[in-house]
Amino acid sequence: MSREQFSLHGKVALVVGASTALGQAAAIALAEAGTDVAVATTLPTLLETEAVNACAHTIRTLQRQGFAKAIDTTSESEVAALVQQTVSELGRLDILVNALDLPFAKPLPEVSLAEWQRVLAVNLTGVYLTCRAASAPMLAQQAGRIINIVSVLGERGMANGSAYCAAQAGVLNLTRALSLEWARNGVTVNAIGAGWTDGMGMIANEQIKQQLARYIPNKRLAQPHEISDAVVYLASDATGFITGQVIWIEGGVLSRL
Amino acid sequence: MRVLEKTRLDGKVAIVTGAGRGLGREMALALADAGADIVAAARTQTQIDETAHLVRVKGRRCITVQTDVTNPGSVNRMVEATFAEFERIDILVNNAGGTTRGWNKPLENITDEQWHDGVSLNITSAFYCCRAVLPRMIQQGGGKIINVTSGLGVRASRYNFMYSTAKAGMINFTRALAMNYADKNIQATLILPGIFPHDDPQMMAFWQGGKFIPIGRPGKDNELGPACVFLASDLSNYMNGELIALEGGGLAGGEVPTGFAPVVPLPDGGQS
Repeated sequence: MSREQFSLHGKVALVVGASTALGQAAAIALAEAGTDVAVATTLPTLLETEAVNACAHTIRTLQRQGFAKAIDTTSESEVAALVQQTVSELGRLDILVNALDLPFAKPLPEVSLAEWQRVLAVNLTGVYLTCRAASAPMLAQQAGRIINIVSVLGERGMANGSAYCAAQAGVLNLTRALSLEWARNGVTVNAIGAGWTDGMGMIANEQIKQQLARYIPNKRLAQPHEISDAVVYLASDATGFITGQVIWIEGGVLSRL
Repeated sequence: MRVLEKTRLDGKVAIVTGAGRGLGREMALALADAGADIVAAARTQTQIDETAHLVRVKGRRCITVQTDVTNPGSVNRMVEATFAEFERIDILVNNAGGTTRGWNKPLENITDEQWHDGVSLNITSAFYCCRAVLPRMIQQGGGKIINVTSGLGVRASRYNFMYSTAKAGMINFTRALAMNYADKNIQATLILPGIFPHDDPQMMAFWQGGKFIPIGRPGKDNELGPACVFLASDLSNYMNGELIALEGGGLAGGEVPTGFAPVVPLPDGGQS
């Protein structure tokens, strides 16, 4: 019984930022749960392009349909084209997952206006663009799930993290505002607050990783699948009464002083 | 393990307090659907008998234990009965609670006894249940504690003092559990249910069909169960001290009655 409640067979998902550890895990978990999945980069670098191509290959080995697209998510036209291609190739769009992530940390006096704007553009404006583009098919069918993956740094501050923290917090409250705007249209908008996860861009080196593991009550970092399991839950039909919420999956780190 | 396989709870044992009706019964049945055996606890034997019948129809084992969660002796007996029958405890759902005498009164008219009754039923009960269950979970190498809070645990309503205070307490009690028992592989989480009329026409009418809720309807029972299964299962092993709110969008807003701002154009028309 429980398997059927969480099953996503017949649905179509779009995962943007599928080159990140979390985006890739989300795309694969959605495919395992039965969706066809389109995956896209955050930025069209060679590294990201190879990562999303590999991700689309895995999706097809799971007997699901899918394609990869290298796009710049700060480009209005490229995001619009991505959503159009998803609908035309996979038939519809039910689930949008934003895993956009441009890690950045620097003391504020050294943060140039160009850097600030870049961090906001990728981490926050990109989410606005994908939500706006995906809203057209979702509002037309009066059904949809938007899931924004944010960091614990959207809820708590970190020295040298000002621009990134501001952008992540922006995504959280964008999530709340959009949830109300589309509340009567069958489109839910929620966030998953990811704790420190293996493979995250903000974790600069092994030493920081070990320090974090000691600090986190669960005494370890999350594995990407532990975040993507919640993506599958939020994408399911069982969550129609959940909107404007953040589900924090962070090993207890927000519970401690 | 593939993601949908992690939704299964086969071989696990769950205690659900307040399992005789409403949300508690719904969660007990959802856990049973996912494969867990159930201990149905509540004050009213006839109601938990009915829950037990519904669980057994699904092919799961179920025992009933008539329990007063405000009485530590009664709670300890509930846990002993669980262990005697199943020899393990994997999941504890602290669902028992509700409004008590002294509800709907101005604060200055609430008696000492009414205050203590309300706090006792809605938060001390969870302390008693956790205290009784934790040694078993630690010995077993882990477990899941799911506490039920309320929109009134994060916002206030008129003349609702003990319930709101206790439900807010439940949230930080859960964080304290998470913080202290994370290294024992015990995850403590919260469900925050909004309005669930359980298909009862009277409750539906009382809540005006949920027209004041942003999504325009109240919760359906089949939306609550999967949240409980998610939190009880391996799908949520890194979630600790945190909550899932099922409430139709009310908590996301609350600044303006309609949830909508009027259209306000930029002074320069958006030109830069």
